[in-house]
Amino acid sequence: MNALGIKHVSYTYPSGTQALENISLELEEGSSLAILGSNGAGKSTLLDLILGFKQQGGIQLFGKEIGAYGRKELGRTLALVPQTEHYHFSFTLLDYTLFGRSPYLQAMGNPTSDDADIAYQALEEVGLAAYADRSVTNLSGGEHQLLLLARAIAQQSRMLLLDEPTSALDPANRKKVLSILSSLHKRGKTLVFTTHDANLAYALASHVAMLKQGSLLCFGKKEQVVNTEMLTTLYETPLTVCQMGTETLIY
Amino acid sequence: MSRARAFVQERSRRRLILLSLVLLTLLLSLLFLFAGRYPKPGFTFSSIWSQGGMAQSILWKVRLPRILLALVAGSMLSASGFTFQMLFSNPLVEPGFLGVSQGSAFGAALMIVIGTSTTVMVQLSATFFGLLALLASYLLAQRFRFGGSLLRLVLSGIAVSAIFSSALGVIKLVAEPTKDLQDITFWMMGGLWNASWKQLFSILWIVLACMLLLFSFRWKLNLLSLEEKTAHSVGLNPKRDRLILLVVATVGTTLTISITGLIGWVGLITPHLARKLFGSDSSFSLPGSMALGSLFLLVCDTLGRTLLPTEIPIGLLTSLFGAIVFIIILSLKHQGGKA
Repeated sequence: MNALGIKHVSYTYPSGTQALENISLELEEGSSLAILGSNGAGKSTLLDLILGFKQQGGIQLFGKEIGAYGRKELGRTLALVPQTEHYHFSFTLLDYTLFGRSPYLQAMGNPTSDDADIAYQALEEVGLAAYADRSVTNLSGGEHQLLLLARAIAQQSRMLLLDEPTSALDPANRKKVLSILSSLHKRGKTLVFTTHDANLAYALASHVAMLKQGSLLCFGKKEQVVNTEMLTTLYETPLTVCQMGTETLIY
Repeated sequence: MSRARAFVQERSRRRLILLSLVLLTLLLSLLFLFAGRYPKPGFTFSSIWSQGGMAQSILWKVRLPRILLALVAGSMLSASGFTFQMLFSNPLVEPGFLGVSQGSAFGAALMIVIGTSTTVMVQLSATFFGLLALLASYLLAQRFRFGGSLLRLVLSGIAVSAIFSSALGVIKLVAEPTKDLQDITFWMMGGLWNASWKQLFSILWIVLACMLLLFSFRWKLNLLSLEEKTAHSVGLNPKRDRLILLVVATVGTTLTISITGLIGWVGLITPHLARKLFGSDSSFSLPGSMALGSLFLLVCDTLGRTLLPTEIPIGLLTSLFGAIVFIIILSLKHQGGKA
């Protein structure tokens, strides 16, 4: 089954700037898609369209037009891990993770002990369970990213959308986030993430869509589209793809 | 102990604190029924209250509606302040933020000067101009081409407040000094001395409905304090929910201050205190804030009507105590801490 279907989608901002032009792609459930491109290529706009945050026709999730989803149903279908988030109040890590359970709550309801169990499991998965009662304002940058991931995991959606998931992380936290995302992917979760890092795209994705100035340069399995020629065209700078043992390195 | 059980126990503990707070407020309400300047200053516990006549009139027609008004007004102003803080992701805002208070003050003063200062007309005018100020701030923010959506709202709120404030100044200039100007000045200082059953019931049902609606959104308020995209991603319609809550909080506030006058600081400090007591989760800190608001206004009003031979306007006391509590809260806040 297709998890994501995008057909001839274009998007122009109210200011008149065209952000995306005629994007089409299809992604099988359980795949992992990297939307790769340089800054300003339209990656985040495309992610917003898939999220339904920006309204545009022509996008299907699991065979259903995104506009036909109810709000909560959409929340149970996809979860977002933003690039960053600002904290204005001292919620605990458990509070924050429980926010991911909102699509499952009754109209005016509050989380139950079952929701708390799921939230704790999500915190455990990212290694923050021991700090569940700590305030979010005391987190480091790496822990902050892991918490956003925990909230999305607690949401138990079929698809995970991630905006530049490792761009602000040190190598240790980057490795940790990659390992968690790989594990989620192996368990059948569909991942869609934006990145300008070709190495991350190759390491985590099964499919890659390259965006250049709002247009789709290419889309396909990573082995088919990630090559020296395409990357050089994408970034307008010479880049090399080479094999080092089992690892693929792009520099 | 299982984690789920710990979660349930923590919620029970918070419920117990909330219940204790409500009980304390009710007990004090009962106690303060017997406080005042009749038959002598201070508390009077004697058989005088069962003797009918003046004593019973004071008890049932003056003090009881006044105490109930303090409870309702305190709760409503706190709920509105809390809601504004969550909606604007800013622990330092209250309904005055979007020009609501200044708009209401202008509306009330206008009616007083025109000479149709019946309770209903002042209420309607204060509510109308409070809502108009909200609408003006909202529409103006859409036209601004500077900063993010929140900053635009803050700036338009400042502009709208300034416009209503200067219009209010003009009204005060032309107001008849011996009567109208005094009425306006007292209204702006806030007070419950006019409280009566009629006044209370004139706002009670709508204000209770506003409070109930805000209370029913208590979990969603958490999510609405996050960025709009995140709120959307967890199944909310943030634009619609924010608008509903803004209108409800504004209507509740303007109706309340239309009969109590401007009472500042309640909506600012009680949410802070509630978060200290119950944590930041609005499921508990919103009702906690409402209970604390009732308690705070009850105590201030009782002090205001008993401390001196002449009544101290409640707005002066809430400002004084509010500012002191605010300074203490901010001084106690640990480094880098948030509300």
